[in-house]
Amino acid sequence: MKDILRRHQVLKLEIVDVINKQIKMEAHSSSAYLAMAGWCDLQGYDNCADFFFKQSEEERKHQLKFFHYLTDMEAQAIAPAIGDCQHDFENLRDVFETALDIEISVTDAIHDIVGECRKHTDIATEEFMKWFVQEQIEEEYIARRALELFDVLGEDKIALGMIEEKILSVSYDGAN
Amino acid sequence: MSSKLISSAIVFETLATSVSQCDRSEKFFLHFLEKPMELKLCELIGLKRKIENIDLTALVSSQGPDIEILYLSHQHPILVLSIYEILELREVLSGTFTMLELNSLIHKSIHRKFS
Repeated sequence: MKDILRRHQVLKLEIVDVINKQIKMEAHSSSAYLAMAGWCDLQGYDNCADFFFKQSEEERKHQLKFFHYLTDMEAQAIAPAIGDCQHDFENLRDVFETALDIEISVTDAIHDIVGECRKHTDIATEEFMKWFVQEQIEEEYIARRALELFDVLGEDKIALGMIEEKILSVSYDGAN
Repeated sequence: MSSKLISSAIVFETLATSVSQCDRSEKFFLHFLEKPMELKLCELIGLKRKIENIDLTALVSSQGPDIEILYLSHQHPILVLSIYEILELREVLSGTFTMLELNSLIHKSIHRKFS
C-alpha cells in the first residue's frame, strides 16, 4: 500500500494548526497597525502614519509567507476572519506602546512554533521559521527604539514634532 | 463499481463504513452512504476536522432537528448527518488516520531505509 500520507502530507497536522494560528495573528497585527496608521493620520502625525502603514504591509507579507508555505506543502491554509482591533488611543506614546506589545506577542508566538517544530522533529519548518525569528529581532528592536524616542525627547509638542521627523529613520542594521 | 474501486485497498472499516485507498490515483474512497465519495488526502483531512469539530452536546440540546449539514466542496454531495452517522464517521476516520500513520511508519522504517 502506497504511503499516500507521506506523499501528500508534508506537514504534521499540529504544525499546520500552529501556522494557521500564526496566519491569523499576522492578519490581526496588520489590521491593528492599520488602525494605528489611521489614528496617527487623523491626529496629523503623517510620518508616524506612514510608519504604521509600512508596518501593516510588513505583517501582511508575513501572513502571506506563512499562507504560501502551507499551500506549497499541500496543507490547507485558512484565510482568517479578523476580529475588531483597537482604534482609539490616549496619545502617540500609547500607540507605540501598543505596537511593542504586538511585536512581543508575535515573537512569543514565533518561538512557540519553533518549539512545536522541535517537538515534532519538523526540521524543514524549523528552517523556514529562522527567517521569522530574525525578522522579529528587527521588529522588536524598531518598536523599542521608537518608544525610546519618547523617553529621550519627551512628550511636549516640540518633542512630538521631533519624533515625527525621526520616526521614519528608525531602522535595524543587524547585530553588528 | 468503477475500476478505481477495484484497485483500491481497505485502509479501515467498521460494520457499516469503510475507507479504501487507490494507489494509482492516490485518492481515498469513503464508503458511507449509497455512493462512495472520492477524496484527496487534504479533503479527507478536512472532513475529519469538520466531523471532529461538530459540537454533539449542542446538537443534542438544540431545539431543532438533531442533524448536522456539512459542505465539503462543489464536487461532493452535501452531507446531512444524524448523530449516529457523525459518531460512525468519527470512528472510521480516526481509525483510518491511525492506519495511515502506521503505514507511513512502516514505509519509513522498512521501505525507504533499504531503497
